[in-house]
Amino acid sequence: MSKENVKVQVRHLTKKFGDLLVLNDVSFEVKKGQFLCVVGPTGCGKTTFLNCITKLYEPTSGEILLDGEPVDLRKHNVSYIFQEYSAMSWLTVEQNIAFGLNIKHFPKEEVKARVDEVIAMVGLEKFRNYYPNQLSASMLQRVVIARAFATKPDLLLMDEPYGQLDIELRFKLEDELIGLWEQLGTTIIFITHNIEEAVYISEDILVLTNKPTTIKTMINNSLPRPRNVTSRSFIDLREQVTELIKWW
Amino acid sequence: MKNKAKQKQIAIKILATIFSFLIFGLLWEMLVRFSDVGRVMPGPLETLQSFFEHFTEKYSAYTLPEHVWRSLRRVLTGYFFAAIAAIALGILMASYKTIDAIVSPLFNMVRPIPPVAWIPLAILWFGINDGSKYFLIFWASFLSMVQNVYAGTKSADPKLIGAAKMLGANDGHIFLTIVLPSAVPYIFSGLQLGINSAWAMAIGSEMIRSTDGVGWLIIRGMDNNNLLQELVGILAVGIVGFALASVLRGVEAKLCRWNKRGT
Amino acid sequence: MDKKRLKYFVISCTSVIVFLGIWYLCTAVLELVRPTSLPDPVTVVKTFFYKLTHKAPDGATLMQHMYSSLRVALMGYALSLIIGIPLGILMAWSKPIDLLASPVFDFVKAIPGLAWAPMMIILMGIGIASKGVTIFISGMIPCVLNAYVGIKQTKEVHLWVARTFGATRRQMLFKVAIPTALPYIITGARVSLGACWMTIVAAEMVASSSGLGYMIQQCRGIYRPDVIIVGMLTIGFLGSLLTALLGCIERALVKGRDYEK
Repeated sequence: MSKENVKVQVRHLTKKFGDLLVLNDVSFEVKKGQFLCVVGPTGCGKTTFLNCITKLYEPTSGEILLDGEPVDLRKHNVSYIFQEYSAMSWLTVEQNIAFGLNIKHFPKEEVKARVDEVIAMVGLEKFRNYYPNQLSASMLQRVVIARAFATKPDLLLMDEPYGQLDIELRFKLEDELIGLWEQLGTTIIFITHNIEEAVYISEDILVLTNKPTTIKTMINNSLPRPRNVTSRSFIDLREQVTELIKWW
Repeated sequence: MKNKAKQKQIAIKILATIFSFLIFGLLWEMLVRFSDVGRVMPGPLETLQSFFEHFTEKYSAYTLPEHVWRSLRRVLTGYFFAAIAAIALGILMASYKTIDAIVSPLFNMVRPIPPVAWIPLAILWFGINDGSKYFLIFWASFLSMVQNVYAGTKSADPKLIGAAKMLGANDGHIFLTIVLPSAVPYIFSGLQLGINSAWAMAIGSEMIRSTDGVGWLIIRGMDNNNLLQELVGILAVGIVGFALASVLRGVEAKLCRWNKRGT
Repeated sequence: MDKKRLKYFVISCTSVIVFLGIWYLCTAVLELVRPTSLPDPVTVVKTFFYKLTHKAPDGATLMQHMYSSLRVALMGYALSLIIGIPLGILMAWSKPIDLLASPVFDFVKAIPGLAWAPMMIILMGIGIASKGVTIFISGMIPCVLNAYVGIKQTKEVHLWVARTFGATRRQMLFKVAIPTALPYIITGARVSLGACWMTIVAAEMVASSSGLGYMIQQCRGIYRPDVIIVGMLTIGFLGSLLTALLGCIERALVKGRDYEK
């Protein structure tokens, strides 16, 4: 793997909260444009891991490099989709989507152009001037996703974004996400505890162990797209990953 | 481990409080020493000294604690009756639409008039002595509490009431087990407002017409150009007001443990 | 209006009419109370119109008193907003400032605003300055409190969103915290207005030579409860008017928002 191709390098990442050891010497690499899913037992520190990447938590030891340098959120272009609803209740859909662009001081015309582009991709043009309290849960997630993609991030982190939605919506949004990813080539690290989801969307699956968390293994997912959840190969892969999570 | 962290927090808060008052006292002292204000206004040490001296020395007929007690007595009496009246009327108005329809319009006409505006009328009716003050304190606290009691009684979840009725509960039972617990946080919030109103009205009415009490102390200071006396009075007012509010908050915390709010 | 609401509406109207009727009965007809204690409603109305243009019996017309009170109240109010709101925001946003300022502030909060009036009068004499400062202190407290609570309501996840986008602390304050706090700040402004209005009336009763509070206090001394009641109603009316105006501004500023999500 050539050095230019590597987007994220995690080296010996360790995170302790007081005496509680959550992440224990985690090391791996993520290629540019890769779609990586991180799975593991509940409470094994997946969210902690993402928060270390974005410096929301300071690692106890170890380092995380983005494009070869330590993560600097002002320099690097990172978007994070949290587990909880994070749309700003005082902004319209349009203003929400533009939020990241405005923080990064993009010029007005470009902000408008990007917002228009992304709002079309998630199909929310009609709802431009709506406020979050007028939207359904899936629409809210679309707003958040649009906001994340509007900045054309180098790295996109997603923490179980579809956990609260029903299956039909899940698949719909997963397909939309794959479409956005294919169009924009963003590097994505996606956390989920839903194995079917992981197998459906990922290129690679990183399996974590229970606390103190280390890497169990990295599985390559080369199923051809569009993927069929009922196909034999899909089910096999799904069972394989499930086994790995179960027996640690 | 959690206890240690909590203890540390409390220690920091206490230190910060002491530090905060020290800085404030320092600024005050500097203001008095290095500016014209110092000619009329005493510094913090002088004020504190006078404050403690008057625990035994008298202002006119009474010592400082006696003045405080006179004010408190008025407050607590008026407040107590106001609380009973407010809770009774609030619950009645919220529970029976007819009573609401009769009382609300009268109430809404009178409510915009600030309690202070009643002072002259009250003195005209009840004289310059305690009668008018009791009335005013009662009225001020009553006004600020009824609204909350009403809102609290109305806040009971209609779904819960519906479910209870379906199970055969009678009105009295529903009231005691569903409506009242739901109303309690609002009632306590109202009681807080009420004690603040009562205390403010006590001071206010004493300032306007009185022969004793902390409010009288403050206004007397003005008449004699005695800023020291006023500052002692203000200090006393603050301490008592703070104590009243804290006591009420403590009672609420104990009784409403299931409903811990943020601030 | 459906039948039930109509029924209650009628009851309410009847209630008011009965009240006025009893008042009139007890005063003008049966003369159960002296007119120096309680005037009848008709006299009150007559006095109202009289006072609009006549200076007697207290030295100024109703309009002049209204102007005097409103002027000082609004000046003090403006100062409360300008100083109180940023102070509240600052205290909530900066932990060290919070730790240092809160104890003193909590203590001052317990002191009714009017209690400061005599001190201000000694320092600044009877006049607009002392009244203005007293009102400022009264009005500042709700501004600080509500702004403080509002900023503290800021959702951590919103701050994190801003942070991952690379926001500076200043950007987080202005683009996340303050918008979150806006409804609370406006509530604080409304409560503050009420406090300022109450304080001016009280301060005028303590030491003033004009204003609505002065007027009703003067008329007590000369046994003119009709003027007192006119004054009280005017005070109440103006207070409601100011609050309603602020309510309109509030609705315009926070339209569409809901603070659940």
